[in-house]
Amino acid sequence: MRAPDETTIKAGQTLLSVQNVSLSFGGVKAIRDVSFDIKKGEIRAIIGPNGAGKTSMLNVINGFYHPQEGEITFKGVKRKKMRPHDAATGGIARTFQNVALFRSMTTLDNIMAGRTLRMNKNFFWQLLRYGPAEREEIEHRRKVEEIIDFLEIQHIRRVPVGRLPYGLQKRVELGRALAMEPELLLLDEPMAGMNLEEKEDMCRYVIDVNNHYGTTIALIEHDMGVVMDLANRVVVLDYGQKIADGTPDEVKSNQAVIDAYLGVAH
Amino acid sequence: MFYREAGQFKTNYRADMAVFPISQDRIGIAIILIVAFGVIPFTASDFMLHAIMIPFLIFSLATIGLNILTGYTGLLSLGTGAFMGVGAYSCYKLATNFPEVHIIIWIVVSGFFSAAVGILFGLPSLRIKGFYLAVATLAAQFFLSWCFIRIPWLVNYNVSNAIEVQRRSLFGIPVTGPEAQPVTRYLIVLSIVVVMTWLASNLVRGRIGRMWMAVRDMDIAAELMGIRLLNTKLLAFAVSSFYCGVAGAMLVFLYYGSAEATAFSINQSFAILSMVIIGGLGSLVGSFMGAALIFTLPILLPQLMGSLGLPIQSATAEHITFMVVGALIVFFLIVEPHGLARLWQIAKQKLRVWPYPY
Amino acid sequence: MLCVKPYNMLCKIFVIPFWEMWDLPDIFVQTLWEGLVGGTLYSLIALGFVLVFKASGVFNFAQGIMVVFAALSLVGLHAIGVPAFLALALAAAIMFVLAVTVERVVLRPLVNQPDIILFMATFGLTYFLIGFGELIFGGDPKVMITKELYIPTGTYSIDFAGGRVELQKLDITAMVVASTMVGVLAIFFSKTRIGRALRAVADSHKAALSVGISLNQIWVIVWFAAGLVALVTGVMWGARSEVSFALEIIALKALPVLILGGFTSIPGAIVGGLIIGVGEKVGELYWGPLFGRGIESWLAFMIALIFLLFRPQGLFGEKIIERV
Repeated sequence: MRAPDETTIKAGQTLLSVQNVSLSFGGVKAIRDVSFDIKKGEIRAIIGPNGAGKTSMLNVINGFYHPQEGEITFKGVKRKKMRPHDAATGGIARTFQNVALFRSMTTLDNIMAGRTLRMNKNFFWQLLRYGPAEREEIEHRRKVEEIIDFLEIQHIRRVPVGRLPYGLQKRVELGRALAMEPELLLLDEPMAGMNLEEKEDMCRYVIDVNNHYGTTIALIEHDMGVVMDLANRVVVLDYGQKIADGTPDEVKSNQAVIDAYLGVAH
Repeated sequence: MFYREAGQFKTNYRADMAVFPISQDRIGIAIILIVAFGVIPFTASDFMLHAIMIPFLIFSLATIGLNILTGYTGLLSLGTGAFMGVGAYSCYKLATNFPEVHIIIWIVVSGFFSAAVGILFGLPSLRIKGFYLAVATLAAQFFLSWCFIRIPWLVNYNVSNAIEVQRRSLFGIPVTGPEAQPVTRYLIVLSIVVVMTWLASNLVRGRIGRMWMAVRDMDIAAELMGIRLLNTKLLAFAVSSFYCGVAGAMLVFLYYGSAEATAFSINQSFAILSMVIIGGLGSLVGSFMGAALIFTLPILLPQLMGSLGLPIQSATAEHITFMVVGALIVFFLIVEPHGLARLWQIAKQKLRVWPYPY
Repeated sequence: MLCVKPYNMLCKIFVIPFWEMWDLPDIFVQTLWEGLVGGTLYSLIALGFVLVFKASGVFNFAQGIMVVFAALSLVGLHAIGVPAFLALALAAAIMFVLAVTVERVVLRPLVNQPDIILFMATFGLTYFLIGFGELIFGGDPKVMITKELYIPTGTYSIDFAGGRVELQKLDITAMVVASTMVGVLAIFFSKTRIGRALRAVADSHKAALSVGISLNQIWVIVWFAAGLVALVTGVMWGARSEVSFALEIIALKALPVLILGGFTSIPGAIVGGLIIGVGEKVGELYWGPLFGRGIESWLAFMIALIFLLFRPQGLFGEKIIERV
């Protein structure tokens, strides 16, 4: 189920690049002519004030919104637009700003659902279950249990996620995305609404995922402290336009960024 | 005290993923199966078998069918009756055109015709969801009902415009038609229902069940995870209609003996939907419970009222049944949206920790 | 006659019906009129749906049975000797009691539940009202007290294009009453305090609550309004045919109307109803014979289904942008 262009991209090379992308809804321009790239193995932060078009950008990257203009190059393949299914099979996973878990399913089932694309026993084996389908199920269960251990959520394995507190839901959602074994992980405000301790935990997971699995991460975050610590490079959006791009230090001292955050008479 | 999992450790994932991970449950289901296959056929009266057990099992199967679509995949359908009808009519055409193939095979095969029709009417789910899709299934219901009435070819140009089931035998024992004994029909229905329930439970526990539930709970997230929405929904339509189709074929061939189009009217769809709601959305056990409750209510109610010294006429009983079903639906939605199945789970949980409160 | 062998079927579908329309325009106009009148009644049922959906987001499956129930109450009260107009007032009062009960017993405990649960609750309500109505009034069809309510009967005949078109006075009344009601509702929504509150609730429950609008009160009001619409529909429908529970199934045709018009648009309900009504009658008369008649039972649904594929948001609905 891999894309034919499976040229192994080494760390430091460009994994995904967005070129001159513009997106609008009716008359509202959400993104205007934005270009940036994400390099393999890095943690890339997308920041900006509310309504800057950050989430729309992620939606464009994994194919939920289709930009009117521009191109997306992922693993060397140039596309006018991504399709959600192509993005997923190509190895892009994501979490959502307002947790989008399968609420009535258990933690275990949610994360197992993340393995769907990697399971391939067909309908008739599934009907019989005993035999190949079950073996496959067990094999994937092992992987899922690894993720559960990694995220320290063993105790809520059998709890329907709708009943979990917000912080744990965010963690389960990360688990579900990790279950896809993605090459590029998009995190939409992974630490929003968390207390300090939970934020620290989440930071640790993000760093671990990046170090341990070598997963490339693009994240949207409002907490500047977190962004400055985590990210290798930061892209800043404001009113749908890119106003800065560079290392955390460069961005921090950029006048346009300071204006955007502190507000300046336009 | 007796229903407790203490001391039952699972040492591998296989045991952990079993349908009934607790051994008392396994014993329970074994006892139910033994009673169903070994005791009921010898002890129950013909009336009990014909008027209660057979239709109860058939409606349970239809309820499972609708539950797969509505309970598991979250797609509301008001066309169950019509999909059952497709099963019944295609079974009739197959059985009369190819009498050399055994009727039981045709009963099962007719499910495929129903599945095909189900896919056809599920296609709009590409673009529409929620109540809009319910209207699409309503279109299926009215269109197919019309076909059943207006296309005489479907009933081989019978003057009665009804399906007339002929005698067929298995190993010399009549299984369909007027001579077939209730016991024989009961055992056939029971076998088909048990096997199909087992297959359904395999499906919903595995990858496909998770895909269905993912689409139900959060379709956008499911799509972005690489689950193809249309395929998943169409599969649910196909499997659901297959179950309904087989149930419809059994309804005519193993229960009614003959049937007109009205047997598959919109009222049938509504009845099955109420079974799903009361039994519990997204539960196979609940499907049986819902079917049992809704089906036996009109039979039990007059007797209950009679024993309370309030004998009522059958028409009145029917009206009260409607009211009770309606009230039960509202009651369950308010108190326990997951229906009887959830109540059953809570009871088991209580039993597990008994005599302690938790 | 016009059709030649290989194109026989195509010709029967695409040529003959239109030729017939042209050839006998009086019949065509008569059919259009019948369609419009039938459509008015669909519009009225759809209107009841829209009122409830707009204000509470509830897909009220029980609107059809409410029509039957209201009409039965009216006829039933008159049958036990209540004067016609007093019976009408009492039937309205019964609809008010129903609205209060529904709000207390069904809606209030289910607030904030998913839409599908609320839909199913109204489905349960439908069952309950069917049983309750049959228990009290009996299941057999009844005659509407048309004369007692001074609803004019009889026909106007108009000579038209060499033929004659007949208009039932009853139908004309139905259209006048329906238009008046839509007008009153429109004024109610735009000019009164309650109407504005109602629109606020439709936009956002939480926001409405936070500015001090009582949701419970609003729900009682819309369900009562839907009940009144149901009563008027019941009277008109009953006068045209009879008051029976079969109407409950026919009322489902309001669903394709809603799809055409959009679930939240009152003008949509009106236009959608008229389109469905006309489409159905014209389709049955000119294309029905090709399929063996009776296509009226599903034509409306098929029209809606095809329409849905091209414009899922309805005629007057706004395009939905999905967000994550």
